[in-house]
Amino acid sequence: MEKLTDIKREKGKVGFVDKSVWITLLILLVLPFLISKPLATEILIYGLFALAFNLLLGHTGVLSFGHAAYFGVGAYAGGMALRYFHVSVWTSLVVAMVVTALVAAGIGALAIKKKGVYFAMISLAFAQMFYFMALSPFRKWTGGEDGLKFIPILKLEFPFPVDLTSALPLYYFTFFVVGLAIIALWRILDSPFGRVLKAIRENEVRTRATGYNVNRAKFLSLVISGSFSGLAGALFTIYLGYGSLMTLFWMTSGSILMMTLLGGMHTFIGPVVGVGVFMYLQNTISVYTDRWQLFVGALFVALVLFFPDGLVGTIKMKYRERKSRA
Amino acid sequence: MQLETNGVCKYFGGLKAVDGVDFRLSSGQLKSIIGPNGAGKTTFFNLLSGFYLPTKGTIHFEGKDISRKSMDQVSQRGITKTFQITQIFPRLTVFENVRIAAQSRKTAFNFWRRAGSFHDVNEKALEVLDLVMLLDSRERIASTLSHGEKRYLEIGMALAAEPKILLLDEPTAGMSPAETVEATHLIRDIADRLKLTIVLVEHDMSVVMEISDDILVLNEGKVLAEGNPKTISDNEEVQRVYLGGGKK
Amino acid sequence: MFDLSWEIVAMQMIFGLALGCVYVLMAGGLSIIFGLLDVVNFAHGTFYMLGAYAIFVAVSLCGNFWLGLVSAVVIVALIGGVIEWLLLKPLYKRDPLYPLLLTFGVSICIPDIIKICFGLIGKVVPYPSGLMGAFMWGPVMIPKYRLFIIVLTLVVLITLWLFLNKSNLGMIIRASTRDSMMTQVLGINVSRIWTVGFMIGIGLAALAGAVAAPMVASIPDMGVEMTIECFVVVVIGGLGSLGGAIIGGLLIGQVISFVALFAPSWSNVAIFMVMAIILIIRPRGLFGEEGRL
Repeated sequence: MEKLTDIKREKGKVGFVDKSVWITLLILLVLPFLISKPLATEILIYGLFALAFNLLLGHTGVLSFGHAAYFGVGAYAGGMALRYFHVSVWTSLVVAMVVTALVAAGIGALAIKKKGVYFAMISLAFAQMFYFMALSPFRKWTGGEDGLKFIPILKLEFPFPVDLTSALPLYYFTFFVVGLAIIALWRILDSPFGRVLKAIRENEVRTRATGYNVNRAKFLSLVISGSFSGLAGALFTIYLGYGSLMTLFWMTSGSILMMTLLGGMHTFIGPVVGVGVFMYLQNTISVYTDRWQLFVGALFVALVLFFPDGLVGTIKMKYRERKSRA
Repeated sequence: MQLETNGVCKYFGGLKAVDGVDFRLSSGQLKSIIGPNGAGKTTFFNLLSGFYLPTKGTIHFEGKDISRKSMDQVSQRGITKTFQITQIFPRLTVFENVRIAAQSRKTAFNFWRRAGSFHDVNEKALEVLDLVMLLDSRERIASTLSHGEKRYLEIGMALAAEPKILLLDEPTAGMSPAETVEATHLIRDIADRLKLTIVLVEHDMSVVMEISDDILVLNEGKVLAEGNPKTISDNEEVQRVYLGGGKK
Repeated sequence: MFDLSWEIVAMQMIFGLALGCVYVLMAGGLSIIFGLLDVVNFAHGTFYMLGAYAIFVAVSLCGNFWLGLVSAVVIVALIGGVIEWLLLKPLYKRDPLYPLLLTFGVSICIPDIIKICFGLIGKVVPYPSGLMGAFMWGPVMIPKYRLFIIVLTLVVLITLWLFLNKSNLGMIIRASTRDSMMTQVLGINVSRIWTVGFMIGIGLAALAGAVAAPMVASIPDMGVEMTIECFVVVVIGGLGSLGGAIIGGLLIGQVISFVALFAPSWSNVAIFMVMAIILIIRPRGLFGEEGRL
C-alpha cells in the first residue's frame, strides 16, 4: 500500500501538452516534403475540421450530421470579409470564427437540449438550409453555384510579407494557424471543462447527478466545435482562392464523419490520422474510378461493423492489451 | 429540519407513484425508507434528488424550496445520490470517476488550466478513494471493477461532491452477504466520521435495523408508518403489509 | 401576386396535397422504424430512390404500371429486410450511435451502385394509361394522377392503422419495441419481428418513390434530399408519432407548393425555415411526446 502523500505528489505533476501533440506537429511540419503540397494543405485543413468535429462527437458524445454548416459559413464569412470588406487575412480568420460561433450558438439554442437523434437530424437540416440559401436566394452575395470568386490576391503583411498564392508559404501559414488550434483544442480537452465533456459522453445522467449543468456544457462544446470548424473553412477559402459551395454540401458533413471514425473518435489525434489516410486514398482511387463513394461507403460500413474504434483507437487498444498482459 | 417534504406527489398519467408524502429529516440522522416493491421508494428518491419534478407538493432543503430545481442544481446545493442501477463513468479510470465528482464543487467551465493541476481536487479524490477502499484500484478502468466495487465507487463519487445529505438507493443490492456486512459498516462509519445525514432505500431488513436512527415505511405511494427501528418492527400493520423478510 | 384566381390556388393545394402524401408515406415509414427499432434510418431516402428505379425496371420489363408498382414495393422491401438482417442487427446491442452510422454508410454506397447499373441520366416512368390527364371539378382542374396518390395514401394509412391496431401481428409489432421488456417475456422471436417492421417502413418509402416516379426524373442522388426533407417532417411533426408524420407531411407539401409559386428562389429553403420557427415556438414538435424529446 503506497503512502497517500506520495500518490498525491505524483498526481500533481502536469506539463504543457502531451508528447503526442508535439509528435503530430513535427510530422505535419515535414509533410509537404513527403507528399504533394496541395494535398498536405488539405490534410491540415480537414484535419483541423475533424478535430473540431470530434470535440463534439467523440469527446462530448453528440452527433452532428450538419457540421458542413460551420465549415461552409466560415468559408463564406472569411471570403466575404476579404472580398467585400478588404480586411487582412488574419482578420478574415477572426471574422470567420466569430460568425460561425454565433451560428453555432443559434443552432445550439434551438436544438442542443434535444435527444441525440433529433439533434443529428436538425443539424443536417440547418446545414442543408445554408446550402440552399447560398445556392439560390443569396446568390448575389455568395456567387451561387460558382462560389464566391474574385477574392483579392492573398498575401500576408504582418508580421512579415508572405505570398499566399505560392504553395509552400501557403502550407506553412496554414500549418501555423492549425498548429496553434491543435494546441488550443488539446488544452481545452484536458481542462476541467474538457473532463466534464468526457463525463457527459460516458454517462449523462451521472454527470447531471454530480452537479454539472449538462446542457450548458453541450452548448459550449457545440460553439467551440463550430468556431474551430469555421476557422478551418476560412483557411480552405484562402487555400482555394475562392469560396466553394461544396463546403456547405451534405457530403462534406458525411466525409468529416467518416474520416473521424476512420481515425478513431475516442482518441485526440485519431481524426487527423483518419483525414490523412482518407484523403490519400481518395486521391489515389479517384484516378481509376468515379465511383469513389461506393468504396468509401463500403469502407465505412465495414468500419462501423468491425472496427468502430478506428485506426488509432484499435492500435491504442492492442497496445494497452499487450501492456496489461506483460 | 434539514430536509422536509410536504404532501409531495408524483403522478404518471393515472399511476400515483407517490401520493402525498410528508417527510422530515434532521441533520446528522440516518434514515431508512422501506416498503414493498412498487411502494414508490425510488420515485420518492428521484423527487428528492431533482430527477423528477413533483406533480404536487413541495420539498424544502435548509428552509429553501427546491421542488422545481433540476438534478444538477440539487446536487450543487448539497444533496447527492447513488442510483438503484449503478451509474458510473465506465471507460474512465476509477480515479477520474471520483476526481470529476470532486471537481464539480470547484469548477466546470475553466478552459485553460489542465484538469490535473487542481491539487486540492486531486487530494479530495484520493482521500475519498481511501475511505471507500478503492485506492489501490485507482488506475483501473471503472468497467473492469466487480459489482460490489462499482457500488463503492458510486458511493465514493457521491461523497466526493461534498454532500450535506447522501441518498443511497439500495446500496447493497446485488452484494453477497459478506459484502453487505462490510458495506453496512462502511455506511455507518461514513455517517459517524463525516457527520453526514444519510437517507437509505433498502430491502435488506438486517441492514436497515442495524444502522438506522429512524425508519419510514411507504406503501402504494403513501406513508404507512414512521419511527425508530423498535417501533417499526413492532408495528402490526407493517408486518402485515411488508413481511420484512431479509435477503431472499 | 394578388391577381391569382381561386382556381389556381385550389390547384396548388391539390399539388401540395399530393406532394404532402408522398412525405406522409415517407415520414410514416421512418416513424415506424424509429418507434420499433429506435433507429433513425439515414438511408430512408435511398429506399425511396430504389422504389423509383424498381418501378422503372419493372414497367420496362412487363409494361404494366400496377404490376410494376406492387413488385417495386415488394422487391425493395425485401432488399431492406436483407440489409437489416445482415448489417443492422449485429449493431443493436451497441451504442445507439452505430445503427445510425450504418444506415448512413448504406446511403452512401447504394447510389453509386445504381450509377454503375443505370448511369447518371434520369429515368422516366410513363403515367399509367388510366390516370393521364385531368378532370374538372367545377372550375378546378384536378390531375388524375395526383388524386390517385391522395387516395392511395389514404387507403394505405387506413390499412396500416387497422393492421397495427387490430391484427395479431400488428399488435405484436407494437409491443416489440426494442426497449421494452415485453420482448423477453413474451418469448416470441422478436428478431424476426424487427425485420418485418423494418421492411414495412422500407416498403412505405419504396411506395413513395414508386408513385413519385412518373412525376420526376429518377436520378441516383434523389435519395439524400428526400431523406433530409423527411427529417424536417418528423422534427416538425414529432418523431415516433404517426399523427405527427401525417400533419407534418401535409404541411410541408403545402409549404413547398405555395412557395414555389410565390418565391421560387426560396422554394428549397422554406421548409427549413418553417422547421426553425416551429422549433422556437413548440420545441417538441406538433405531436411529439414529452420526455421523448
